[in-house]
Amino acid sequence: MVTQPENDPVNEGRTRQLASNSLRSLTDASFLGVLLILVVMFLYFSFTQSSFLTSGNLTSLLTGVSILFVVSIGMTFAMLSGGIDLSVGSILALSGILLGKLATDVGLPIGLAILLTLLGGALLGGLINGFFVGIVGLSFLVVTLGTNILFRGVVNLWSNTKTTQVVSPFLEDLAFEDFLGLPIAVWIMFAVFLMAFYVLRNTYFGRDVYAVGGNADAARLSGINVGRTILLVYAITGLLSALGGVIQVARVGAASPLVGETLVFDATAAVLIGGTSFKGGSGGVVGTAVGVLFLGVLQNGLAVSGVQSFWQQVVTGAILVIAVLIETLRGSERISLGWLRTRGGGRQASR
Amino acid sequence: MPSEATDRVVAIEMNRGPLLSARGVDKHYGGVYALTDASLEVGHGEVHGLIGENGSGKSTLLKILCGQTMPDSADIDLEGAPLPLGNPVRSLVAGIATVTQETTLVPELSVAENIVLGRRAIRRWWGLDRKASRARASEVLDRLDLRLDPRAIVERLRPDERQMVEIARAISMDARVLILDEPTSSLTDEEVESLFGVIRNLKERGVSTIFVSHRLKEVFEITDHLTVLRDGVTVAREAIADLDAGKLIALMVGKQVDHKPPAAAPAAGRTRLEVSDLAVPGIIEDVSFEVGAGEIVGFAGLVGAGRSELLKTIFGLHPSAEGRIEIDGADAWSRGPRQAMRNGIAFVPADRKEQGLILPMSIRENLVMAHTARLRRLRRPPRRREVDQLDEVVANLRVAGATGRGGAPISSLSGGNQQKIVLAKWLAVDPKAILLDEPTRGVDVGAKEEIYGILDRLRTNGPAILVSSSEMSELLRLCDRIFVMYRGKIVTCLAKEDASETVIAHYATGNN
Repeated sequence: MVTQPENDPVNEGRTRQLASNSLRSLTDASFLGVLLILVVMFLYFSFTQSSFLTSGNLTSLLTGVSILFVVSIGMTFAMLSGGIDLSVGSILALSGILLGKLATDVGLPIGLAILLTLLGGALLGGLINGFFVGIVGLSFLVVTLGTNILFRGVVNLWSNTKTTQVVSPFLEDLAFEDFLGLPIAVWIMFAVFLMAFYVLRNTYFGRDVYAVGGNADAARLSGINVGRTILLVYAITGLLSALGGVIQVARVGAASPLVGETLVFDATAAVLIGGTSFKGGSGGVVGTAVGVLFLGVLQNGLAVSGVQSFWQQVVTGAILVIAVLIETLRGSERISLGWLRTRGGGRQASR
Repeated sequence: MPSEATDRVVAIEMNRGPLLSARGVDKHYGGVYALTDASLEVGHGEVHGLIGENGSGKSTLLKILCGQTMPDSADIDLEGAPLPLGNPVRSLVAGIATVTQETTLVPELSVAENIVLGRRAIRRWWGLDRKASRARASEVLDRLDLRLDPRAIVERLRPDERQMVEIARAISMDARVLILDEPTSSLTDEEVESLFGVIRNLKERGVSTIFVSHRLKEVFEITDHLTVLRDGVTVAREAIADLDAGKLIALMVGKQVDHKPPAAAPAAGRTRLEVSDLAVPGIIEDVSFEVGAGEIVGFAGLVGAGRSELLKTIFGLHPSAEGRIEIDGADAWSRGPRQAMRNGIAFVPADRKEQGLILPMSIRENLVMAHTARLRRLRRPPRRREVDQLDEVVANLRVAGATGRGGAPISSLSGGNQQKIVLAKWLAVDPKAILLDEPTRGVDVGAKEEIYGILDRLRTNGPAILVSSSEMSELLRLCDRIFVMYRGKIVTCLAKEDASETVIAHYATGNN
């Protein structure tokens, strides 16, 4: 039973493989499915609701997601590195309080106060979360769960659980003034996106983040400074959470201890819907942008349609689970899902 | 169930056809065909070898047989009845059991508990019936002539004993066909012999075995017939008596592989690496040796003798180590991989997937990872130059499947080609000493020979080359000198001309 060894199956297999490459690079962008849903959803709302596709509504949509957007970009770094930062909401609130104190009580010029606030967020994230996760080697879940509670406690103590007004023309401009037709908050969002995209794609540090998330052991044995990479990742997450806090204060005109309590869920959902793996090592900020816009369009569209906002939760939750399911199905030939595939037909049909 | 058993005997008497027959097995992943009209036929009570290079489709075929993967089309009969496809539980019930490289035992449970794991009959309403479990387990162990204590905790067993437990579990489920996928890769020669005893025992009881191994010696020793797969196609089904190693390799790689004699050892260069009084409490004791420039030295020993630990220690992975390490006369003591790399040391770990590669990342990124690890982190990686570097590596090391595909994930390459990329990644740092732990584990014969060639050529660059391997033939093929380790100590140093498998085995088992 020898099937002619003369024909050359090696090269044949190679050409087949090459043909599949272009296809693979396309399907590798794991957010494409969600992007498609986003586009369909956008078109649907545009045609059915006359008030959806107006420049006023779209601007308010973008401004509305700006806080979630910058925090989710930070969360993308954490998740790409194989972790998660559960303390983003508390850092956001704490940064708001800090900004209020610096600007109002201490009386610093607003520009300096904002810079110090951002620095404070980076230090909280880097020197506390990042230090314990990256350098000491504790579990990221435990550390950031703990600091989330801790920071929230500090917020409540420091603010006396009271919301204080922060009056600053500069902050008002930041939230409400237009520049080249778009609110400044939206420009900040774009800038953060571009910088994150550049850092992840075009620096060795960006590669390190993927490498540490993909296989920390192998990264360490290749000479990559895993601890420092993780520390910097959590510093970035902290910095962007603080930036979210600054935008929050600017939009409300006050520093409130109550903000950001559920932010971590939305941010995590946006990152996962955007196709970044919860195991780390694959995904990116383009997907996260799609994920955030998905949440934003869904919420805004349903609001414009006059549908109860709880439907947004139902749809978001379902899409999140489906997105992760698709990723898992694609990622591996899992036994546990074997039955799903057999449904198609136990193919003993060739007889 | 006695009636079923008698039915089976009758079936065997009446049916002179094969026990398991698979025909027309097709499977593709995306645009890549893993199997094209592959076939496999296993007789009653036969040990059947399934042989092929990495990427030939062996694993896919096995996964289809045990229901883990759904074929595009296939025609599979077991004892004349069609086998349900794509369902692992039904394959198991039908009588196909698999013992893979990764053990599926629960380490914290006893042998008996593992054997009856998941069986309903042993469960009472108040929980597990320990006595019944143990009785059932002992019965199976006796049937296989295995001297294992059913109460022993699996964690404390030797690797071969754990494999016996897996086989016992398969047999307790009335397996008719047992699939052993690379069962010997982590076993010593003695343990392999005891495994073969069990396989022969099963054969007498009419249980057939599909035996998959890269070690041709074992294939010739244990199998009756074998099927050779190449690029997803069944190229031959032959009785083992009609084959020799040369013919078999030719069938596997599709051409004659010339076994080049190893390059002559260069005139012993000056000392490159000097290790003195190296010790890690409880692991390595008082190890000293020297390696010359361009010299390849091997480390032999049983699993746990300390040979991989020795390499890890030199690379700075054991913080509690003591001793002295010098390269070219300068201190090269390292407290971690980064310092080791600054000292000019490279380490190719044994476990490619766990420690050598970052699977979700691209071929190109994996290749350049080590030698760019010391650059400023905010620099922009020069993509064009990396592509050129990859092209060069692909040409020099003959990395199949990587041409023009630098951006493809490294996981899309076959095992042997992945290993070449791991090697290339470390050669790119231009090391003064390169430590290789099991450099060809899980790599097919063709790629193995190529990797040996790469190491031979590397001599001219003059690094000290240290190889730890569980395959004696590999050490004998490669090394100028072989250090044999036993319980954390170097017990002897053998020159190439004095070394043989028998001599190494003698020292490796603690004789002097």
